[in-house]
Amino acid sequence: MIAFNFILVGLLLVIMQTTVCMPSPVWLLTPDCYYVLVAYLAYRLDLMRSLIVLFPLVCILDVLSGTVLGMYAILCFSAYFLIRFISRKLPVNESLYQIPLVGVSYLLISWGVYLFIRFIEPEVLVSWSWWKMGTRAMLVAALAYPLFYVFDLVQKYSHRSLFPWSRLRLRTDNRRRRKA
Amino acid sequence: MRNKITRKRSSRVGLFRVVILAGLLLTLAFIFLVSTLGSQKFGSFHKLVLEVVAPLQKVVTSGSSYVSTFKSEYLDILQDTLKLREENKRLVQQLQENEAILNKSREALATNASLRKLLEFKSRVGQPVIAATIIGKDPSAWFRSVIIDQGSNSGIMKGNPVVSSDGVVGQIFTLSPNYSKVLLAIAPSSAIDVLLQKSRVRGILKGTGTLTYRLEYILKTAEVEEGEHVVTAGYGGVFPTGLPVGVVSKIIKKPRGMFHEIEVTPSVDYQTLENLLIIEQQNLTELKHMGPR
Repeated sequence: MIAFNFILVGLLLVIMQTTVCMPSPVWLLTPDCYYVLVAYLAYRLDLMRSLIVLFPLVCILDVLSGTVLGMYAILCFSAYFLIRFISRKLPVNESLYQIPLVGVSYLLISWGVYLFIRFIEPEVLVSWSWWKMGTRAMLVAALAYPLFYVFDLVQKYSHRSLFPWSRLRLRTDNRRRRKA
Repeated sequence: MRNKITRKRSSRVGLFRVVILAGLLLTLAFIFLVSTLGSQKFGSFHKLVLEVVAPLQKVVTSGSSYVSTFKSEYLDILQDTLKLREENKRLVQQLQENEAILNKSREALATNASLRKLLEFKSRVGQPVIAATIIGKDPSAWFRSVIIDQGSNSGIMKGNPVVSSDGVVGQIFTLSPNYSKVLLAIAPSSAIDVLLQKSRVRGILKGTGTLTYRLEYILKTAEVEEGEHVVTAGYGGVFPTGLPVGVVSKIIKKPRGMFHEIEVTPSVDYQTLENLLIIEQQNLTELKHMGPR
């Protein structure tokens, strides 16, 4: 249920990003909300559920954005494992560091993926601009806190069962059995 | 016996007093009536009455005028305020409805103008075209593409040129039965064979990722001027000849190298792209049919 809800949330974020948040095809200030979701999965969800969410998410992103298939898969999975590693192994797993880490990791991972794609397919990408990507990273970091709050709510409500199956459970009659 | 006689006497005296008083009053009334009817002038009594009554009248009149003033100034205003509030609410609602209608009609006018331009362009192209609308834009900072609401079911094929009423927009990059992805001409991976309209010099137009193109492979020996129009050359068989692409906006002359560095401003406004036309290319269809079987 949690994975399904997060897939829906991811889908909604990507659709919002490609429609409402993009007034023109060269608009710079569109927030990469999907990256915040990737970071959230790395921080808060177990590996199995995270992967279940990430596979459809990267697929949707690859279809709706870019011309190099698999680019978002590389970006999201490397970001996921990097953040997961840092949050578990390094002493920066405090909440205070989580949000800046989202922004910094976005910038670093983007740069790494950019270099990789430029190596395998030159002349396909728009030239790298530190200030533009820095702005986007700051936008991602700024959106991290409110989106984490929303994701927390989604996780909280996902734990609640949609149907009260427990009430329909058959109870044994032991409580009413009289002692012989 | 003596008491009886005394009681009788006192009753006679009382009756006498009443008769005297009545007579006096009647006499006074008669005098007053005669004097009033006779002279038709205010006597002393009248004046006295007037002096006594008029102040009362004055007080009542001023009081009533004060009450009516108070009513008109406060109570009526209060009522009017309530009425005005309702009226205001109604008018605001009406204004909002009218504004919404106005916005809708403005939008309809703008869409109409845009579609009319597109229709004119369609008739100028002289080839079968498919109209499409942009439904999504690439949010990535490294690519420039859009998603449109027409796919292979409409007869679109990979590589079909995409234009707007102002000129070339891009090419179909990938497609599904009902939707397609368009690689915009400003994307770095886009390359279009073009012609400088005046000097007839041929070159390759490449995207830069920004709102300008870069015109490559124009020899330095060629005379190029700023403001010269750039159109499609039509050599590759993908784009028809003569579609507007842009205007030469900057020529950077470097001492080294064989070619000019030319910046071209697109004829299409990429920031307001909405409706597009996909040109069905017979060549592409033939090429597809001639492909491996």
